[in-house]
Amino acid sequence: MELSDIDLVNPDRWVKGVPHEELRLLRQKAPVFWQDMPGSDAGFWAVTKYEDVVAISKDPTTFSSYRGTALLRDLPKDDLEQTRTIMLNMDPPQHSKYRKLVSQGFTPRMTAALEPRIRKATAEILDEVAQRGSCDFVRDISAELPLIVIAELIGIPVEDRHKVFDWSNRLIGYDDPEFQTSEEDGKMAAMEIWLYANQLAELRKKDPKDDLVSLLMTSEVDGEKLTEMEFDSFFLLLAVAGNETTRNLISGGMLALIENPSEWQKLLANPSLVPSAVEEMLRWVSPVSQFRRTATRDTQIRGQQIKENDKVVVYYQSANRDEDVFKDPYTFDVTRSPNNHIAFGIGEHFCLGANLARLEIRVMFEELLKRMPDIQLAGPVRRLRSNFINGIKEMPVKFTPPRVRAVG
Amino acid sequence: MKVIVDYDRCEANAICMQICPEVFRLNEDDTLDVLIEEPGDALRAKVLEAVRRCPRQAITVKE
Repeated sequence: MELSDIDLVNPDRWVKGVPHEELRLLRQKAPVFWQDMPGSDAGFWAVTKYEDVVAISKDPTTFSSYRGTALLRDLPKDDLEQTRTIMLNMDPPQHSKYRKLVSQGFTPRMTAALEPRIRKATAEILDEVAQRGSCDFVRDISAELPLIVIAELIGIPVEDRHKVFDWSNRLIGYDDPEFQTSEEDGKMAAMEIWLYANQLAELRKKDPKDDLVSLLMTSEVDGEKLTEMEFDSFFLLLAVAGNETTRNLISGGMLALIENPSEWQKLLANPSLVPSAVEEMLRWVSPVSQFRRTATRDTQIRGQQIKENDKVVVYYQSANRDEDVFKDPYTFDVTRSPNNHIAFGIGEHFCLGANLARLEIRVMFEELLKRMPDIQLAGPVRRLRSNFINGIKEMPVKFTPPRVRAVG
Repeated sequence: MKVIVDYDRCEANAICMQICPEVFRLNEDDTLDVLIEEPGDALRAKVLEAVRRCPRQAITVKE
């Protein structure tokens, strides 16, 4: 492969999996690489070395999430304004104010308190499926837990959780014709979320509960209540970010364990390795492929001149396989130590739900080990067509139902 | 060196405590205590690693 063959934008290049060969070549030959975009969008600097991704993430003053949002595509002016009301697309000090409204709900202590409920929900999901002997791992297992948890945290009635599943598929799947049939459909999904959020807000206004919707209804920034748009944006971010990424991590982590049976055997023999395995799954999968920043002034990255307003895109999967940081980066090792991956990002926009995600993933694999020790693939894995989310749409699996195991 | 924590940024991720429990202690109520405000040379490398690895960039040191 040559540098001239590289195309990080075309989603078809991501359907068979993260293009690790391309990313490795970039780290070696062109760690700050100019990538053209098709159509009228401006090209960008693709940043693939761990150290550079960290430095850019830690310097929001120079590398803004607000100026051109955190999304790869350039947005028309109206959409730009709207998108900037989502916390992901803010810079400090504005970002810090909004983040603080909800951050106390996501500390390790707050999330640890959820463990009994998360374990009960996990047991119910798995017990229901286990008797069948086979299932679609994505829809039946990995999608369910994050949906149930985030619905409860936000205050969405649990029976409505599949609406969230549908909305986030349509929002995230804009490059996959199976999920989003047209750009209009993506906008429609956002509208449906806002309408739903506003209805829920009305209910909580009359009858507040111990959930994030009720909290946001009374929250203030600089002495002002949140506007409807700000509230809706919070709702959208929490609902989508809270389930899409965790789902894909659980699916991708399970796939890595099926493809590396000796690692699965290690966990079966010693379940206390699960927390360390969770970190390795995070490094290995890195559910978010990239985020974009925009330079606010002329600057340099690794000696490469960057002009004000240039688009800079950081690649997390590449950072997490950087040979300068990780020993044998292409080996999936559930005992890896140290493992300072940046799957959750770092700095201003460090994933707010990191502790919650870690907890959900750990509990899920602890319970999977108990119930489906002989889990294996039962058909082809279908991946999301996306240069943004490292996603799996369908993963047929089979396993011996527990009562058969007990008898046999 | 003097250790400074920006409590507005700290989100109690406890990475600092894992790296250098001699200096950082996270309490039950998610508050962070700096146990040694001016750690000596023996702890220097560990404190600097905590600064580097804090996911929220909440720790700085002043020489």
